[in-house]
Amino acid sequence: MERRNFIATLGAAAAVSGLTLRAEPTPETVRLTLLHTNDTHSRIEPFGPGNGAVSGKGGMARRATLVKELRSQLGNVLLLDAGDVFQGTPFFNQYKGSLDYQLMSMIGYDAATLGNHDFDNGVEALLKAMNEAKFPFVNCNFDMKGAPALAKRVQPWLVKKFPGLKVGITGVCVDFQGLVAPKNHEGVKWLDPIESLKPVIKHLREREKVDMVVLLSHLGYDLKGGGIDDRTLAATLPGIDVIIGGHSHTFLDAPVSIKNSGGETLVFQVGFGGVNLGRMDFTLAKGAVKASSGGALPVH
Amino acid sequence: MKAFLTLLLSLGLGLTAQTHPKLERAQPIPVTDAIAEDPAVAKVIAPLSLELKASFGKELVQCPTGLMRGKFGEENLLGYWVADLMRERAQQVVGAPVRFAITNAGGLRGNIRPGVVKIADVYEVMPFDNELVVAEYTGAEIIQIVKDAIRRRAGEPCSGVSAKVLGTPEKPEFSITWSDGSAIVPTETIKVALSDYLLASGDTISTLRNGRRPITTGVPLRDLLLDACTKLGESKTPLQAPSALRYEFAPGIYQALRDKKIVW
Repeated sequence: MERRNFIATLGAAAAVSGLTLRAEPTPETVRLTLLHTNDTHSRIEPFGPGNGAVSGKGGMARRATLVKELRSQLGNVLLLDAGDVFQGTPFFNQYKGSLDYQLMSMIGYDAATLGNHDFDNGVEALLKAMNEAKFPFVNCNFDMKGAPALAKRVQPWLVKKFPGLKVGITGVCVDFQGLVAPKNHEGVKWLDPIESLKPVIKHLREREKVDMVVLLSHLGYDLKGGGIDDRTLAATLPGIDVIIGGHSHTFLDAPVSIKNSGGETLVFQVGFGGVNLGRMDFTLAKGAVKASSGGALPVH
Repeated sequence: MKAFLTLLLSLGLGLTAQTHPKLERAQPIPVTDAIAEDPAVAKVIAPLSLELKASFGKELVQCPTGLMRGKFGEENLLGYWVADLMRERAQQVVGAPVRFAITNAGGLRGNIRPGVVKIADVYEVMPFDNELVVAEYTGAEIIQIVKDAIRRRAGEPCSGVSAKVLGTPEKPEFSITWSDGSAIVPTETIKVALSDYLLASGDTISTLRNGRRPITTGVPLRDLLLDACTKLGESKTPLQAPSALRYEFAPGIYQALRDKKIVW
C-alpha cells in the first residue's frame, strides 16, 4: 500500500471510529470552475426579435468574450457542452455543423458530448464537421463497432488534469429510437446509459483516481417516465459528482441536488440556443481521499 | 495489514465510496448585448452571415397572425398548415385520395411569427432534409396512430381526422373520425402522407413504421412550405391560419395529459 493511501486509510478509520489523528493536517484546497452549454442548435448569432424571452440573447461571439473573461479571472476552468450543437438555423443547413465546431474550438471548449441532432445529417457528415473540432468528444453508451472512424473520434471518457486535481469526464446520449432516423446512425448502436456508465465510473474512480466525475448527459432533465433521464440516473447511480445535462432544453436557475446511495449528484442544465452559459464553482480538498464517512480527509 | 483492512471493512468503510466536491457558487449567466463580441469570432461569422442573409433573406409572403406551434396539446396551427400541405401535395403526386397526413411537432423547430415570412423563417421551421412519402395503413392503424399521438404528446399535428377525448382522466373515451364526422372503417386501406423520417423511425408512434407500399415523392418537406409561401406571395394573398379544433378534450383531460396522469 502506498504511503498516501495508507495515511488516507488511517484518516478514514479515525473519522468513523472517533479516533483523533495525532497531527491535524491543514486543509489545502483547489478550486475548479465548470462552464457549460447545451442544445446550442447552431445559434451562431443572437436570437432575433419576436422570439419571446430569448429575443436578443445568445451569440457565439459574445459567448467567446464571456468565456475569455471568466478564464482570465479564474484558475482551473473547464468549458463543456452537453450535445445538440447541430440543427436549428440556416447556418447549419449551409455549413453542416463545421462552423459550429470551428467556433467552439476558437472559444476553447475542452470537451463535448453528442446529442441526437448531431446525427441529423448522418455519421459521415458528423465526422466531416468534426474535422473542425479541436476538442475531444466523449460518450460511453454508443456501440460504435460499425462506425470505426467515429469510434476513433469519440472516446468513452477522458481525464483533465490540473495541479493537484484530476477530473474525469464522460458522456451519454438519449435513445435514438424515435429521434434519429436509422440511416443517420448507421453503425452506431445505442446502449443502456446506466449499464454503460457503471464500468466507466469505476474505472475513473479506482484506476484513474479522479477527484471528480462529470457526466455530459444528453438524456434530458425530467422525461416524466418517458425514459431514463438525468434525475433518474442521478438517483440510481452513485459516483457522479455533476451531471451537465441537455436535450430537454430545461432552464434551471441553479443545480439540483439528487440524493443517491453514494451521497448526492448535482444536475444542471441552462436552456438552449446558447442564451445562457452555465457556471459552477467547486472547492476540493487537494488530494482528497474518498471515504464513506462523508468528510474528505486531506492528505499531504 | 490484512487484519487492519478487515477492521476497516467491519467499520463499514468502502474506499471507493465518494465524497463530493463542495459547490461554492452556481448560476446560469445570461448571454446578452451587455457582453461585447469577441472580435476574432465575430470576424469569422460576419461574412458568412452576410452570405446567408443574401440567400435566405428573401421575403416570401405576409402572415398577419403568425402560425405558432402551440405548446403541449394546444392547437398547433403551424403543424396543421404543414399537414394540410403534405396531404394536398401527396394527392397530387399519387393521383389518388390521401385521407390522412401526420407530422411530428418535434420536427417543427420554430414558429412563423406575425409579419413578413422570409426563406430563413421557413428553414427555421423545417431545418431537416426530410422528404414527403405516401404509405398505406388500415383504418384501425390510423385510429391507433392518433390514439398514440394523444397519449404521448396530447396529439400530433394531423390533417383529415377529428379526435376527441371525452370522459374523465380516470376513464377517458376516444372518438376518432374523419374530419367530416364520418366513421373510419378499421379494415379499409388508406393512403397516408408523412415524412420519410416518421415512416422509418415512427418517432414515438411505433404503428407509423407499419406503412406499406411506400411511395417516395421526391418532394422535400421544406420545399413544400417554400413553394406554398412563394405562391401565396406571388398572388398577394396572405398566409392564413388553417382550420383549428382538430383535437378536443373534455375538462381535466388536457391537464391530465400534460401531467401524464391519464389512466389508459
